Amino acid sequence: MFAELTRETGQNTYSMISMLSLAFEGMGSFCSRQKPYSEADAEENEQAAEIERRIAQETKAEQHIHKLLLLGAGESGKSTIFKQIKLLFQTGFDEAELRSYTSVIHANVYQTIKILYDGAKELGQNESDSSKYVVSIENKEIGEKLSAIGSRLDYPYLTKDIAHEIKTLWKDAAIQETYARGNILQVPDCAQYFMENLERLSEADYVPTKEDVLYARVRTTGVVEIQFSPVGESRKSGEVYRLYDVGGQRNERRKWIHLFEGVTAVIFCAAISEYDQMLFEDETKNRMMETKELFDWVLKQACFEKTSFMLFLNKFDIFEKKVQKVPLNVCEWFKDYQPKASGKHEVEHAYEFVKKKFEELYFQSTKPDCVDRVFKIYRTTALDQKLVKKTFKLVDETLRRRNLIEAGLL
Amino acid sequence: MPQYQQPPSWRLEGGGQILDLETAVKDGILGGGAGGCGLGSATCEKVDLKKMIEELEPVEDVPSVFICPISLEPMVDPVTLCTGQTYERFNILKWLSMGHLTCPTTMQELWDDAVTPNRTLHQLIHAWFSQRYLRFKKRSEDVQGRAAELLETLKKVKGQARVQALKELQKMAVDHSSVQKTVADYGGVALLTSLLGPFTSHAVGSEAIGILVNLSLDSEAKVNLMQPAKISLVVDMLNEGTIDTKINCTRLIEMLMGEKDFRSEIVSSLSLLAGLMRLAKDRRHPNGTWTGLSLLKTICSHERVRGLIVSVGAVSQLVELLPNLSPECLELALHILDDLSTIPEGRVALKDCPRTIPNAVRLLMRVSESCTQYALSILWAVCKLAPDECASLAVEAGLAAKLLLVIQSGCSPELKQRSAELLKLCSLNYTATLFISKCKLTRTIQ
Repeated sequence: MFAELTRETGQNTYSMISMLSLAFEGMGSFCSRQKPYSEADAEENEQAAEIERRIAQETKAEQHIHKLLLLGAGESGKSTIFKQIKLLFQTGFDEAELRSYTSVIHANVYQTIKILYDGAKELGQNESDSSKYVVSIENKEIGEKLSAIGSRLDYPYLTKDIAHEIKTLWKDAAIQETYARGNILQVPDCAQYFMENLERLSEADYVPTKEDVLYARVRTTGVVEIQFSPVGESRKSGEVYRLYDVGGQRNERRKWIHLFEGVTAVIFCAAISEYDQMLFEDETKNRMMETKELFDWVLKQACFEKTSFMLFLNKFDIFEKKVQKVPLNVCEWFKDYQPKASGKHEVEHAYEFVKKKFEELYFQSTKPDCVDRVFKIYRTTALDQKLVKKTFKLVDETLRRRNLIEAGLL
Repeated sequence: MPQYQQPPSWRLEGGGQILDLETAVKDGILGGGAGGCGLGSATCEKVDLKKMIEELEPVEDVPSVFICPISLEPMVDPVTLCTGQTYERFNILKWLSMGHLTCPTTMQELWDDAVTPNRTLHQLIHAWFSQRYLRFKKRSEDVQGRAAELLETLKKVKGQARVQALKELQKMAVDHSSVQKTVADYGGVALLTSLLGPFTSHAVGSEAIGILVNLSLDSEAKVNLMQPAKISLVVDMLNEGTIDTKINCTRLIEMLMGEKDFRSEIVSSLSLLAGLMRLAKDRRHPNGTWTGLSLLKTICSHERVRGLIVSVGAVSQLVELLPNLSPECLELALHILDDLSTIPEGRVALKDCPRTIPNAVRLLMRVSESCTQYALSILWAVCKLAPDECASLAVEAGLAAKLLLVIQSGCSPELKQRSAELLKLCSLNYTATLFISKCKLTRTIQ
């Protein structure tokens, strides 16, 4: 027992007491009074020592953990990036986790079709060329039924029959016209993908694929975190990162402030495809303007003076297609945009324009003494796993270099 | 580096067999082939020797007996005077033709003005340089071969192997100019350019740029490099890299700007301009300062970008920097500020910075005429903008005395004219006597 006791490091008082107790033990009756006291005390001290040691260890370990924060407006792709990181650097999703997304995906399907059907009705009433938004008579019944389902709190399982009905309605000309006007409604970006895969989604033993999970849309509320370590080529253990994902809607942002201390890098997600869409929580506000103001606010936070900023200009795949049909000028922030060419060159030109705007915003919002913080812009499509992996590799390299520079080693 | 083993004897182009130096010196014999080296081959050997000396320039440890005492250069056609001293034929003939009849080194009077070709020495010089030349050529070939190998490797490997190959190639390109040609011949420029893209890691990008910047790039290559994604990468590396990387990136952009179809949008990047300012302000690396300022000056010549330069706060930063700059950098910085003073935002920024006037006044007539010209132009712009507040500040800083100096100096007439106008502008708010006292005339006279 004595040997065990002496193995405890730095516990001088404790070893002294143990030595004393042993000394007293040898003194016969004199120490029989001491024994119970010193044992109880010794146990307490042992526990206290153990706790203190654990705290010291964890604090030391914490210092090597880099805190990454995913920020951005609602539906900017933060959670998708979060899922991608999970897939890339952790064990990914096991079958149980994949199955847990089935209800979410089905819910997305019901929500989408309801939004489209209700939207068609609305456009049919308000628009001048209302006839093209009128759903055909056969499909109207389906539409009403689905709309009713969609407004319930829990949705039924997506059976083959219902899926078939949804598919029919989706193919209706009026619904397609409504979908083309999707920007003024709150149609989620996953709409087309799920609609095209309805057969598969409605299988009896349907288990969502990784891609399905990435497309699934749930409004994040609260904060979620994962810890991971991107393993490099050399297979040495690299940096340890802890990634936090938050809700982007306005009412969620008050929870952000609790996370702002000690952040290594902020990954700010901005969906560049939403320059013609309105907020979910406020249909009078343009989403791009909201993102602009939010980014500005985040940049000016005092606690981020030394924090690196990685701006992910996300949803490039949707941007690519949209920019050829909808000019950038519809967004007030981009009103001075002048199209140059057409086709692929136009896309590049538009993207460079948006990038410059964000760069301008960064420099306007940054005080002169903060200009030394790292600021990099990345073009991303969060759904593309290869792209996210490549992008994250660059982010990791930048942060590691930054670390070395700060330590004076570079 | 592979060791070049010198064989005991070898054949030369002229056909003469040369013994190694030790043997030649020891025995004084130059081998069988020497007889065949008549006048004809002496001439052709001379040409070869000249070429070798040129290609090997600068050679360091040439034996002193090979050097002509008149020109201090290795002798190509050594001739000996009657005094026994040897000189380069051309030089000694020139000396003699100028009417001197003495030996230049011994100062003895010449009793015989004949010059005798010193064949022995010639052979020795030839042998010595040949040896060096062959070694040089072999090393060059090795290096070129290795460079070609590396380029092939680069087409195949990725990751760390790629970085290593690039590192080796860069070192070679810097040390050996022949490698630059090899890289160009094997399509290295296109290959390296293709490595640069939005997903290029810093390690790969910085090495590739380090190689490209040492090559001469043709028009096509430059246009290729001007793609926005590649420029973004260069700008990122300029902001994040080591000082060498920063300088390489800056130099590369400057090379691209020389291209005739260059559009100013390419450098209209706030990140680039902020990065250049950061480079210029870095006191630890003066060569970085010069490179950064040089590019900024080139960018400033594009009027459209001037507004952006002002918006990153360059004006006050440059003004603050002025007292600590070397003369070359000072000229660049003042040139930039002068260019910026041509736009309204630039003028306002100059006026708002409290150190503009004192620093500019201090620089008048201090460094060079062009610096004075720029400083004067800046002061003019500022005083014109806000005569009431600036003129008095300038006078308080001792402007009047300096302007009088300029007018009295040997500067160009336009400069003097400008000074006179500025003097007049500043004196408007003062009475004559008060102004004269401000001019501190006694000090100028002193």
